[in-house]
Amino acid sequence: MREGAGSNSVLVSLMLVLLVSWLGLDAVSVAANRIVPGEGIGLGGVAGWPGILLSVAPMLGVLWLAWRPSPGRLRVALLLVMAMLAALPVWLVVAAALTVDPALPQSRLSIGPAVWLALFMLLLSRIELRGRIRVPRWQGALLDLLPLLSLGLCLLTALEPLALRQEYLAREPAFIAAIGEHLLLVSVAVLVSLSLGVGLAMAMRRWPSAQRFGFTLLNFLQTIPSLALFGLLLAPLAWLSNRFEWIDALGVSGIGWAPALLALVAYSLLPMVRNTYVALEEVDPGVIDAARGMGMSRAQIFRQVRLPLGLPVLLEGIRITTVQAIGLTAVAALIGAGGLGRFIFQGLGQAAMDLVLLGALPILIMALLADALLGALTERLRPGGLR
Amino acid sequence: MIELMQVSKRFGDALAVDDVSLNIARGELCVLIGTSGCGKSTTLRMINRLIEHSAGEIHLEGQPVREFREEVLRRRIGYAIQSTGLFPHWTVARNIGLVPGLLKWPRARIRERVEELMALLGLEVAEFADKYPSQLSGGQAQRVGVARALAADPDILLMDEPFGALDPITRESLQDELIRLQARLNKTIVFVTHDMDEALRLADRLVVMNQGRIIQQGHPLELLRRPADGFVESLLGGEDRGLKEAALLPVSQRMVALDDAPPDEQQVAQHATLREALSIMLWRHTERLTVVDEAGRPVGQLYLAQLVGINGEASGRGHDRHHRAAG
Repeated sequence: MREGAGSNSVLVSLMLVLLVSWLGLDAVSVAANRIVPGEGIGLGGVAGWPGILLSVAPMLGVLWLAWRPSPGRLRVALLLVMAMLAALPVWLVVAAALTVDPALPQSRLSIGPAVWLALFMLLLSRIELRGRIRVPRWQGALLDLLPLLSLGLCLLTALEPLALRQEYLAREPAFIAAIGEHLLLVSVAVLVSLSLGVGLAMAMRRWPSAQRFGFTLLNFLQTIPSLALFGLLLAPLAWLSNRFEWIDALGVSGIGWAPALLALVAYSLLPMVRNTYVALEEVDPGVIDAARGMGMSRAQIFRQVRLPLGLPVLLEGIRITTVQAIGLTAVAALIGAGGLGRFIFQGLGQAAMDLVLLGALPILIMALLADALLGALTERLRPGGLR
Repeated sequence: MIELMQVSKRFGDALAVDDVSLNIARGELCVLIGTSGCGKSTTLRMINRLIEHSAGEIHLEGQPVREFREEVLRRRIGYAIQSTGLFPHWTVARNIGLVPGLLKWPRARIRERVEELMALLGLEVAEFADKYPSQLSGGQAQRVGVARALAADPDILLMDEPFGALDPITRESLQDELIRLQARLNKTIVFVTHDMDEALRLADRLVVMNQGRIIQQGHPLELLRRPADGFVESLLGGEDRGLKEAALLPVSQRMVALDDAPPDEQQVAQHATLREALSIMLWRHTERLTVVDEAGRPVGQLYLAQLVGINGEASGRGHDRHHRAAG
C-alpha cells in the first residue's frame, strides 16, 4: 500500500479522530440519581490541565511514531496503544473519584462518548498495528490481557458509582439467567437450522426442480422483518396450543420461546441452505469426473471429496447463521422469549441508557467471540491443499 | 480387447455417437480424433460407462461392459483427463494411491506402488510425495494424473485430451514420456485429442470421427497417403501432409551406404525423422547429410533426392515404428 518511508495513514487518521473526540466530546456524565438526566463533563472538567496533558501525551506519541513508521517504532506504538486501553478503566476510576459527590449515594457515573470513541479507535489501532508487525503469540496475548486485567481490577475495587455496574448489581441473577436463555435459544436455533439446512440442501441437489422454489421461499422468508414474523407466528401458534393439548403441554404458545425459535430457524435457513448447497455443488466438475472415472461410489465421492472440499464453506454458513441469530435473539425478547434483549427493551422503556448497554454489550461480545472462534475453527479444519 | 459393435448414443433428440464399430487390440494405442462435438469423448466415456450407450454393445475381453458393476469396471480401467481432476485436498502420494486404496490394497503395498510410479514418471518422491496439487506445475500435475491412472496396473488406459491444456514444450515431453511408457508397459490405450500432430505421433491406429460417425481408421501413414475424403484430408493438414508424413519416417529408412566421397560435415542422427533431416538441409543449404549413430559414428548418408523419394525409394514404406525410439 505504502512505501516504507511514508507515514502509516491509517494509524495517523485514527489518532487524529481520537485526539479530536477526546478533547471535544464529553468524557463522562454524572447524574444525582437514576431518574434525572446526567450532566456531561468534558475532559478539562474531570481532571483539569494535568489530566489533559497526561492523557494527550501518549496519543501524540503514537501520532509521531506513525508519521515516520519503522518496525521498531510501530512496536512502541502498539505498546502505547495497549497501555492507553488499560488506562481507560483507570481514567473512569479517576473521573468517579473527582466528579461524583460521595455525599450522594444515589449519584452515578455514565461513560461519555469520548471514552466510547477512544475505546473504538484504540481497538482499531490495535488491529492495524497487529496486522503490520509480527508479535510472538505469547507477547500478543500478554498485551491483550493487560486492558482486561485493568478493567477487572477497577470494576472489583473502585467503580461503584459506574451506572453500568449498578444496573448489573441490581439484576445480577436476572442477567446471568438472560445470558443462559440467550445462548440456549441461539444454539438450539443454529443446531435445528443446521440439520434442516443440510437436509434441504441435499434434497435440492437430488431434485433440481425443487431448488428454484426452495430458494425463492427462503429468500422470501428472509425479507420479512423480524418483528413482523414474530407477529405473524403469534396467531397460528396460539391457535395450535389451544387446539391440541400436547402442544400446550410442551409449553408452546403464541408468545415465548416457541415463536422465537421458529422465527430464528426461519431466518437461519437461507444462509445455511445456501452455503451447504454451494459447498456441495461447487466442487470442480473435473474432480468429480475423475473420482467417478476412478471407480468411487456415490457415497465415497460424497464423504471423501464433496464434504471435505465443501467443509470451509459449510462452516462459513454456520458462522454467519450464529452471528445473525445472536443479534436476532435480542429482538425475540419483545415476544417474551427472554434473553439479553429484555434489558435493551426495558432500558429503552425507562430511558435508562445504561440498562440498554447492559443488554447490548454482552450481545456484541458474544457475536464477536462466536465470529472469531468459528472463523478460527474454519481455518483449522480447512484441508491441507486449500490453505 | 475392447470391442465396440454398432454403438450409438442419444442425448434426447441428438445423436452424439452414431453406429460406431471399433476393434482395439491388446497393446494398441488407438487415438480418436475429430473436431469438438464429434463424439470422440462420448465414445471414450462409454467404455468405462461414465456415459451409458443407448444401442449396440461394448465388450471388454469378450464380456459386455454392462455385466460389470460400474465401480468394479472403472477400477480396472485407468482414466486420465485434461483437467487432471486431482483431489486438491489430497497430497500427490495419496492421489496416486486412490484406486489401490479403493481396491483395499495393504498400506505398505500402496506406498511401494506409489513410489514406483513416481519414479517411473520422473517425480522425485522426496520432493513431490507430500505436495498438494496446487503446488504443482501443469506438467507435473498431469504426470501425477497419469501415475494415478496407472496405479492399480490396469490393462486399459482411457485418456481424454490429457495434454490439451499444456504448453507445447511440456506437451511434447509428456508425449515422449507416454511413448516411452507404452513401449515398456504395453497397455491398451484409447486416447482422445483434437491435435493432429499429437495424434500422428502417438497413434498405432488413428480413428477420425465426424458428427458421431467414424469416417476412417487405420495406421497414420495409411490415412496420410489415402485419406477417405476431403474432411479427413483437411484434418490431416491438406498440403502439409508431406511434412507430417516425413515426421513419421526415420532417416534410417531412406539413407544409403557411405561411398568414397568424403563424409559431409553436416550430420543428422540415424533416428531423427525425415522432417528433421529436411529442415537441416534447408537451413544449411545442402543436398547431402551424413547419417550418424548414437555414438556419432557415420553409418550412411542421405541425399535430398532420396529423402523426397525421387529414386523410386518407396520400398521402405511400411509400418516401421523405429522412429519412436528417437523421441
